[in-house]
Amino acid sequence: MKRLRHLIEYAAMRVLLVLIDSLSPRGAERLASAIADVWFSAGARRRDIACGNVRRSGIATDEMEVRRIAKHSFRHFAGVITDSLKADKLLTPDTWRDHVELDIPPETMALLQEPEQGLLLISGHLGNWEVAAKVLSFFKPVVGMARDMDNPLTDALMKKRKGSDEFTLTPKHSTDMGRLLTTLKSGKLLALLIDQHAKRRGMMVDFFGSPASTHTSHALLHLITKVPMCFGYCVKTGPMQFKLKAFSPIAATRTGKREDDVRAILEKLTAELEEAIRAYPEQYLWAHRRWRN
Amino acid sequence: MTREEILGQLRKAMKESSTEPINWDTVTEDTTIGELGFDSLSILDLIYDVQQTFGIEFEAEELINVNTVSELTEFLEEMLKA
Repeated sequence: MKRLRHLIEYAAMRVLLVLIDSLSPRGAERLASAIADVWFSAGARRRDIACGNVRRSGIATDEMEVRRIAKHSFRHFAGVITDSLKADKLLTPDTWRDHVELDIPPETMALLQEPEQGLLLISGHLGNWEVAAKVLSFFKPVVGMARDMDNPLTDALMKKRKGSDEFTLTPKHSTDMGRLLTTLKSGKLLALLIDQHAKRRGMMVDFFGSPASTHTSHALLHLITKVPMCFGYCVKTGPMQFKLKAFSPIAATRTGKREDDVRAILEKLTAELEEAIRAYPEQYLWAHRRWRN
Repeated sequence: MTREEILGQLRKAMKESSTEPINWDTVTEDTTIGELGFDSLSILDLIYDVQQTFGIEFEAEELINVNTVSELTEFLEEMLKA
């Protein structure tokens, strides 16, 4: 039964890829919006989570506005998927500048352009983090964290499509304990999301005023390796058009108290993310369960 | 600092950093760090705690061949001597 389900999902994915590849960027955007609108209407649980999160953030209080932001967030997320799939073919070392505007301060750009320099780039579920990683991989190898898909057939299909470029994925948890440290020490960019729920191993950090379990590894990697850490994000500005913004490296200090040092960094990164979300609320993944407590 | 003192401090740091329920009475010097529930993320807590506890700093790649409690103790002995 499971095998049959995997085969059906695989076939559906193949059809979707052919469809997306055959559509123009604007056509793919329309398709994504149509699918998202059905999902928003039919998927009551995710819709309620999204509306609840918008309400809880305080970004909107009026119910019409809450629903509008949540609905656009669904459309945006569907667009993240289609744009990321199109980006595999559209964004190349020769063409990416036609699609992406950079807003990166000189000190961060210098770090990106230094081949031996590792870099921690922290972002959130805002804009298109896949496109951001793809573009940054044209500067230096990028390693992102993701778990394999449950369906091994679709997982293999997506990995094959992605090819062997300079953007690779690594599992979140691994028994290879030095893996993340050596990634940074070998001059690569490690891209991490700050707004993933960390369950019981995380530190409670306020996100829009409500405590949310946050991974401490982002801060610890910086404190241990002293590799520069920047916050950044990539927002959509039009059909297959993006703006990638990165900030100056965060200045962190070691006081000798782990919890204080880690908290200071996580609060700074979370505040940066909140500010970015306030500027682009429709491009945040509100259906993601950031608060589970 | 003697080896026993280092081991004692190390056990304390490991207890604080590990998120897994471990029977610490069964932990020997041959126990691997992986067996104590540390992975590529939780090991970061341990490294930071060890650096703070012993007042030393080291490069990440220096730990690549360190797998057991004994090897970590020896590594720290060498670092503290240096």
